[in-house]
Amino acid sequence: MDFKLPDIGEGVHEGEITKWLVKTGDQVTADQPMVEIMTDKATVEIPSPVAGTVESLFAKEGQTVPVGTVIIKISEGGRAAPAPAPKDEKPATAPAEKPSAPPAAKKTQPSSPPTPVTQPQSTVATRATEREVSPAAERQVEVESTAHVLATPATRKLARDLDVNIGGLTGTGQHGRVTKEDVQLAYETHQAASPRTSHPAPSQALSVPGAAKQQPVTKGALQRIPLRGIRKKISEAMAHSKHTAAHFTYVEEVDMTEVVKLRASVAEEAKRRNTKLTYLPFIIKGLIPALVEFPFLNSALDDEKQEVVLKGDYNMGIATDTEQGLMVPVIKQADRKSIWELAAEITELSEKVRAGKAAIDDLRGGTFTLTNAGSIGGVFATPIINHPEVAILGVNAIRKRPVVKDDQIVIRDMMYLSLSVDHRVVDGADAARFMNRLVFFLSEPTRLVFA
Amino acid sequence: MKQFDAVVIGSGPGGYVCAIRLAQLGKKTAIIEREFLGGVCLNVGCIPSKALIYASSQYWKIKNDFGEMGLESKSTQMDIAKLQAWKSGVVNKLTSGVGNLLKMNGAEIIRGEARFVGPKSLEVKTKAGTEKISAHDFVIATGSRVSEIPFLKTNGKNIITSTEALALAEVPERFVVVGGGFIGLEIGTLYAKLGSRVTIVEAMDQLLPSTDKELVTVVEKRLKVFGVTVMVQTKVVSLEEKEPLKAKSLRLTVEGVTGGKKAIEADCILVSVGRKPNSDGAGLETIGVKLDPRGNVITDQQGKTNVPSVWAIGDVTGPPQLAHRAMMDGLLVAAGINGEKSYRDYKTVPWVVFSDPEIAACGYSEKELVERGVKYKVGRFPFAASGRALSTSETDGFMKVLIDEKNEAILGVHIVGHEASNLIAEATLAIEMGATAEDIIRTIHSHPTLPEAFPESIEAALGKAIHIFKPASRKPV
Repeated sequence: MDFKLPDIGEGVHEGEITKWLVKTGDQVTADQPMVEIMTDKATVEIPSPVAGTVESLFAKEGQTVPVGTVIIKISEGGRAAPAPAPKDEKPATAPAEKPSAPPAAKKTQPSSPPTPVTQPQSTVATRATEREVSPAAERQVEVESTAHVLATPATRKLARDLDVNIGGLTGTGQHGRVTKEDVQLAYETHQAASPRTSHPAPSQALSVPGAAKQQPVTKGALQRIPLRGIRKKISEAMAHSKHTAAHFTYVEEVDMTEVVKLRASVAEEAKRRNTKLTYLPFIIKGLIPALVEFPFLNSALDDEKQEVVLKGDYNMGIATDTEQGLMVPVIKQADRKSIWELAAEITELSEKVRAGKAAIDDLRGGTFTLTNAGSIGGVFATPIINHPEVAILGVNAIRKRPVVKDDQIVIRDMMYLSLSVDHRVVDGADAARFMNRLVFFLSEPTRLVFA
Repeated sequence: MKQFDAVVIGSGPGGYVCAIRLAQLGKKTAIIEREFLGGVCLNVGCIPSKALIYASSQYWKIKNDFGEMGLESKSTQMDIAKLQAWKSGVVNKLTSGVGNLLKMNGAEIIRGEARFVGPKSLEVKTKAGTEKISAHDFVIATGSRVSEIPFLKTNGKNIITSTEALALAEVPERFVVVGGGFIGLEIGTLYAKLGSRVTIVEAMDQLLPSTDKELVTVVEKRLKVFGVTVMVQTKVVSLEEKEPLKAKSLRLTVEGVTGGKKAIEADCILVSVGRKPNSDGAGLETIGVKLDPRGNVITDQQGKTNVPSVWAIGDVTGPPQLAHRAMMDGLLVAAGINGEKSYRDYKTVPWVVFSDPEIAACGYSEKELVERGVKYKVGRFPFAASGRALSTSETDGFMKVLIDEKNEAILGVHIVGHEASNLIAEATLAIEMGATAEDIIRTIHSHPTLPEAFPESIEAALGKAIHIFKPASRKPV
């Protein structure tokens, strides 16, 4: 029977064959692990569905194959596997070592933001064993011939030097030619996944080749890094949003002096509660009555049905910067939570996401998104809408500025708010009115008592 | 005891290249040579044979071919003594060049016979006595020597090896070559052109066994023009020395595969039935270096033997026994000794036969591709369609290319024709670089030159050659 790369987890469309555990001609028993696949979530062993003889392998190690691709052909035979039962190696019963994300609807919802990376341990372990066998210092070694590989001698030499199995690479050149860049990339991907790498912490955390932002950069060398995993998701989601939504960004300033005072006044309380209280909970508190008043800003556009979906919930997505890339955990039913609850939840979710431990449910269901560009710097940013939501609020830095108040120049804690909106759903005037409402509450937070 | 980082045993093309590179890499290097610098290749192989082959070809052309161009030279005489002197001059220039290069790069030349006494030490018997040498790494580059036939012991006079055949003082009248491999073919052709009546006896079913038959046919046809008798599927069974019949006359009895014995009279017999490795005599057994059943030193793809610190390169490690392969080995092993990750991972070793016309090939043969189940396309370009070949009156032969049907990579190139030895270089580069049909076609080849045959034959494989017409319906030849 032809065996296809199975669906190995929600949102996983492809997997890299990291290691074949069987070869052509091998007898396999049912459930015997036959291949190791690395996805953007985890490395899993795929067991054989039947007992029989391996007829042929259709994918090479190092090759990335889409889910549903035939990867192996096993002829079902009654013949029992010979003496050493592979069972004792590792009893694999489940079809896959499940990633921590619970399985969900097959069709990925466009609204679900990039899913997190689960523990890369298994990947690391595999790579480590591979490395141990390769370099033999003094003894004779047999290396695979590279005669069949479409690559120049210099490229093949580079592969030798870097211990890259060039035969296992899929070239990016014409006719599958393996280029120097392909080899370099394979090496760096390997390095990133290897625990022995000399690179310090940041790169060790990387098990996803696509996490380009922290890739070790070799000075002067041209590098090609494939978009994979979270980076690929971000790229797709952002481009889709930009191409689909009719973005415009409306910027207003808000006097945050009162909020700053309010926050300072509860500093002791925050300490006592051991809660990290940022300005975000206050801003969410100000947003809720404004969103209630302007429900179209808390909606989604169903492109297919051409319907605006007004959301009954107020689930706030918080754009979070992680080593893997942008992630958006969601605070559910923010309208029903206290400042303290919001603060605690923001801390908890961001820690989870940064550790790569967020569950898929932590990352979906948002109705409106906030992005805190101001924590790093800048006057204001023009955020990209988390499509199919229709609005995203850019929260910028609070800075002391001289402002005119009651014909006096005074020093106030000022902040710009930049609101990107899908003009297909919300017009500029409504966006401005919505913003006025938000400013109304934030500039005088006591007003929230009556909201 | 003298101590070195690396010691190379044998100064043939593999050994001297290895030693020079080792010295360049900053290794304290010695090279041990028992006979002459440059080994077989420079002294009694490639270089002297090519000198004589060239001269004999010119002689033949002057006497037989130039007439059609209106160049008459009936009085041309050959002075074999002068020819040999010229040849020796060429050899001397090259061997002294090798010596100078070794010295200038800082490698120490030790003349004598080496013998391992331990995995990291050996003794060299020199004129002055026995010298003990130790080193961190050793490279066995002892080469190969002519294989013998028990009842056809060579005597250096009228039963000879290629070595003597390249230094004959006179042209034998009846010259019999036993073994139709490339050495026998080259030397047989050379003497035929100088006036000998040549017979080549080969046990297999064709000259140059394992060479594409299509190529050999062109050479066999030409051999007839030189008056060479080719006896294939024929074995030598006995030798009779017939002193009284004629001075130095020999009678060789041969037997065809279908039976039927035949006697061949000869004044001189060249035994060219292959070469065997010089893996004996250097004490390899003392240190336990593993050999295969044919006596070849077993090495891995880095050139390492089973004994750490001992490496081996070139002919002593078995086929292909070619100087250029040994040279590449030398470079690879020097890099390996230097701690680099250096492997024999070339895609092809080209080979050349300086027959008339020349044969050269690289990459896969059709037979190999069929065995491997690789689907391929074939394209041929006959030199008769080449402007350059016509204008030099060298129109025999053709170029044949084998292209991967899947990705159009060049898989093999086989050439029979004038200058095949030079033409193969581009083809080898193409294969090493992983060039595809399109790469070659899109490379401008200067006109009028023989290399134009390369893109032309590829176009032919793709069914769109410009200079040879082939009706679309007809299957490629």
